[in-house]
Amino acid sequence: MRGKSIHDLITKPRRNAGLMLLPFAIIMMLLPACSAKDGREKNNNSAKFDQYYIQGEELYLNHCSNCHQKDGSGLGLIYPPLNQSDFMDNNFTKVICLIRHGQRGEIIVNGKNFNKEMPAIPTLTDLEIAEIATYIYNTWSHQRGIVAVKEVSVILSTCQKDSTSAHK
Amino acid sequence: MKSNMNMQILAVVMTGLLFYSCAGKKEAPLPIFGEREVVGSDTVFHTIADFEFVNQDSVIVNNKTFANKIYVADFFFTSCRTICPIMKTQMLRVYDSIKSDPEVLILSHTIDPEYDTVALLRDFAERLGVKSEKWHFVTGNKDDIYKIAQTSYFATAMEDKSEPDGFIHSGAFLLIDKEQRIRGKYDGTKEEDVNRLMGDIERLKREYQ
Repeated sequence: MRGKSIHDLITKPRRNAGLMLLPFAIIMMLLPACSAKDGREKNNNSAKFDQYYIQGEELYLNHCSNCHQKDGSGLGLIYPPLNQSDFMDNNFTKVICLIRHGQRGEIIVNGKNFNKEMPAIPTLTDLEIAEIATYIYNTWSHQRGIVAVKEVSVILSTCQKDSTSAHK
Repeated sequence: MKSNMNMQILAVVMTGLLFYSCAGKKEAPLPIFGEREVVGSDTVFHTIADFEFVNQDSVIVNNKTFANKIYVADFFFTSCRTICPIMKTQMLRVYDSIKSDPEVLILSHTIDPEYDTVALLRDFAERLGVKSEKWHFVTGNKDDIYKIAQTSYFATAMEDKSEPDGFIHSGAFLLIDKEQRIRGKYDGTKEEDVNRLMGDIERLKREYQ
């Protein structure tokens, strides 16, 4: 729909500079929106997914992005990246557990050693963890699709509460 | 067609004005922060008081370390989960912009010296991937750090057990000139403010040319 309207604008006779610039302005506005939504559009267009994703983004910005950064790039060898992460790819259940129970001890992410304690957030509900997981697993390089609360609850019931062994 | 012509004329005039304003104006020096006193014919400005701390290599760092250097100072602690990680991300941008510049250094003070030992600061700096001779992470006597923060850098730093991290501190980055005067204060948690800082470092360097 959007593509068609841009096309219409471009092919219309150019009446003035303002109108000439309009299509470019619209394209510029669409560019960031497209890249941010990448994972979403490819994976799932359901209202439930959108709701999880939007809530998850807000929770991510409140609880996670101080250290892992808004763009998921992390910080040096202090806070591991989430945007490209073999640890996330290979340790889905551990990731779900450590969002609630925290993470202590050494972990290897993309071949690099990280060893800074991540605090537990015991106040997060199962649903909130599902929303955060949906956000981080469908943004940047990830396209896992929705992480449903049912699945998360099953995983969370199996986590060891001791954060030192939660990731083992 | 007529309106198109008008637009073109406008564009030419605007561009002309832009060049005129750039060429005609001499760059103003950065402001100098703090109280000033006039002694005889000289104005005495607020400067950073003498200090002596230890950096991540166990090397003593004091005013002499920063003699004839421009530097950026801040206050943080490694276990801080609130604003410090953002500040460090932003300071890393500053570091990247000045790492091959012999005129500019960075000085980060821990406000939790009991926890942030030299070894811990060393690990932190190594994990950030920064060089000690460029970016000093210092620890020392807690009261000395709080005092210099408050009285020299006008930055907030104190213990408060009611805070989530146990400390109150500002996320400010301070730009200090070669005479140890404060020439800029920036919010180290805001990317735009840090962009302004990086611009001001270049501007300050031009004052010494």
